Amino acid sequence: MASTIRYRAGVLSRTVAAIAGGYGLSALIAAALALTLPTTRAEAAMTGTLTAFVVYPVAVMWVFACASALRAWIGLLLASLLPGAVVLALGAFTGGAA
Amino acid sequence: MKEGLRQSMAWLHTWTGLLAGWILFLVFCTGTASYYKDEITLWMKPEAHQSMTRQVAPAAATANAVAFLEQRAPKSDRWIITLPSEREPTLRTMWAPPPADPARQGEQRPRRARFGNATLDPATGEELAAARATRGGEFLYRMHFDLHYMPVIWSRWIVGICAMFMLVAILSGIVTHKRIFKDFFTFRPAKGQRSWLDAHNASAVLALPYHLMITYTGIVTLMFLYMPWGVKAVYQDERDKFFTELRQDVAIDPKASRVPAALTPLQPLLAQATAAWGEGGVGRIVISHPKQTNAAVALYRRDGKQMSVDQPAMVFDGVTGALVSPPEQAAAPAAQTQGVMIGLHAARFSSAALRALFFVAGLAGCAMVATGLILWAVKDRQKYAKALAKGGRVGFGLRLVDGLNLGAIAGVPIAIAAYFWSNRLLPVELAERPAMEAAWFFGAWGTAAVLAMARPSRRMWQILLAVGGVLFAGLPLLNLLTTESHLGYSLSHGLLQIAGFDLVVLVIGIGLLFAAKQMGKSRMNKVNKVNKANDPAPVLASGGAA
Amino acid sequence: MSALTNGLLIYAALAAALAGFSGLSLAMDRHWEALYGRGSSPGDKTRWLQACGTAGLLLSLAASLALKGATQGWVMWLGALTAGAVVVVLTLTYHARRLIPLAKAAAVSAVVATIAAQAAHAL
Repeated sequence: MASTIRYRAGVLSRTVAAIAGGYGLSALIAAALALTLPTTRAEAAMTGTLTAFVVYPVAVMWVFACASALRAWIGLLLASLLPGAVVLALGAFTGGAA
Repeated sequence: MKEGLRQSMAWLHTWTGLLAGWILFLVFCTGTASYYKDEITLWMKPEAHQSMTRQVAPAAATANAVAFLEQRAPKSDRWIITLPSEREPTLRTMWAPPPADPARQGEQRPRRARFGNATLDPATGEELAAARATRGGEFLYRMHFDLHYMPVIWSRWIVGICAMFMLVAILSGIVTHKRIFKDFFTFRPAKGQRSWLDAHNASAVLALPYHLMITYTGIVTLMFLYMPWGVKAVYQDERDKFFTELRQDVAIDPKASRVPAALTPLQPLLAQATAAWGEGGVGRIVISHPKQTNAAVALYRRDGKQMSVDQPAMVFDGVTGALVSPPEQAAAPAAQTQGVMIGLHAARFSSAALRALFFVAGLAGCAMVATGLILWAVKDRQKYAKALAKGGRVGFGLRLVDGLNLGAIAGVPIAIAAYFWSNRLLPVELAERPAMEAAWFFGAWGTAAVLAMARPSRRMWQILLAVGGVLFAGLPLLNLLTTESHLGYSLSHGLLQIAGFDLVVLVIGIGLLFAAKQMGKSRMNKVNKVNKANDPAPVLASGGAA
Repeated sequence: MSALTNGLLIYAALAAALAGFSGLSLAMDRHWEALYGRGSSPGDKTRWLQACGTAGLLLSLAASLALKGATQGWVMWLGALTAGAVVVVLTLTYHARRLIPLAKAAAVSAVVATIAAQAAHAL
């Protein structure tokens, strides 16, 4: 009985990680690319957005391929560090200089 | 999840496929139909068929359109003229509503009421008022991403989420398919679950590039809705600037000058564009601030010369006729990429042969979703084999899936066919006619769905598939009885769009009837006779009987 | 490009894909068995079937590129491949005996159509 609950909790955890966490990661990558690519800003925003939709399904698949739900969350967080830092540094959403 | 990559991807594939499957089936069916949406609209407007047989020069058609617009919408700030093409031989006009009355400033204008539109006979410039009111193929096309009876934002999110599920399902399906090359040509009918799996594999793998393309590009068409963060990061609140910068649009003065001036004759402008783009190269004309001092005339190239959905434009001063923009502006790579992706999705660039191939691939997509849904139910049924043998019942989940599967797979074709039937049967003068046609679509679907939910038995599959088959196959006959544009007429007068519609629905109808017949055959006997040694893969228990 | 050249190239692309996939399918034991009985195998013919099969697919590609150009040509080719593969699968399943005559006819007519298209285009 306990193992079924554990199993279901794991599935739920991964589902949240995949859908919400995956979206968050993709959004950060879209923003980070938009802010840093060396092309015109319109081009960069476009490329970033196109890339996000390649990242998202791969992230979802990776979450479910992981050995445990915990590893999935940790992996997502680690992957988000770099793009997250870029977005914070370039002040995208805090009104700083773009 | 500890089982390994293939198994975890199999799990992911089954669940993403199932949960999004029913909506995806609708999206695939309406999307596949949309390849021929203009032809469908034509079929649904028999009154327009007469005008189709005449060829009208673009210059004459344009002159007729301008004359009509001068009369109908003289105060409008924007006229849009879509010239006749092979797919759509009528002349279409749209115009922005006249500037708001200052006294009514605060009023919210309903979205639909914003632009006026009229379809004209290109030879005479007269409104095809006699053509029955119908949304034609546009109804199916819009349903493909806007669904119906709900705010479009909701439906676009729902469809978008299903599309993401689909993308994950395809990719996980590829990872989990062990023998993708060995099984490439394999199809073993009449073996229950094995056959459904083979059919699912075949319809998925044989058109795999298409399925990947159509899903990803579908998401791309609305990607700024789903993922605005790239644009937001760089443009913050000035989103509109992104779109103008991307397309490198020639800036057209947004404000009307309100000072009257004569509109420059359009013939020389058309001639210049034709010189640059070839005979019949102009697809659309947009006139901003017509008959005012800052008028601008933009000529857009016709679809079909290139894959990208963004057509180059030549912009002229609307009073002097001077060229304001150069004809070929190469878009930057990423903008081009998006244009090409949307172009691939809509396939408006495609010739007749290529479009037919896209249509076939789309049908394979419908088959892939349908066989996948059925496979899920067949597999799940195995859990209940013992209980069923003792006269018991399946669990609630499977019961629900059975009902939804039947309601979707047999219901959607019934709905589409009913929509076409309604077009011929509803009185031409009926008020709110398009809404009534839509009501027939949903009424028929609702009826089928209720029956499906109530009793998703093999017999019900037979009945509903047969109903769909009869409705589809009966359309050419209905056409014969209710209009003059029946198959004999359309073939002899070269109205290939109309004839094509009749023939394709006939084939679809026969296909559905064949499927219904197959449902009637007992699978159990055939399975027991199978020579197990012939089947290299382990024979799985037949779960086909329902 | 005239309608005739167009039609010939479309035909060539489709027929070559059909012929190509026929060859590739027969190079596999399980489909060879469908024609020649259990336990049989193409043996030394395998390489030859694979080569011919690939050649067919490449001819289909060439016809598609000639017909539609460098970008759209690839799209056309993938479509022709799908259509060809579907026909081969259905034939193998329901009329296996007919596959070889069908493949031969498709191969010969594809080559003829390609040559005819060249000629029609040159004239």
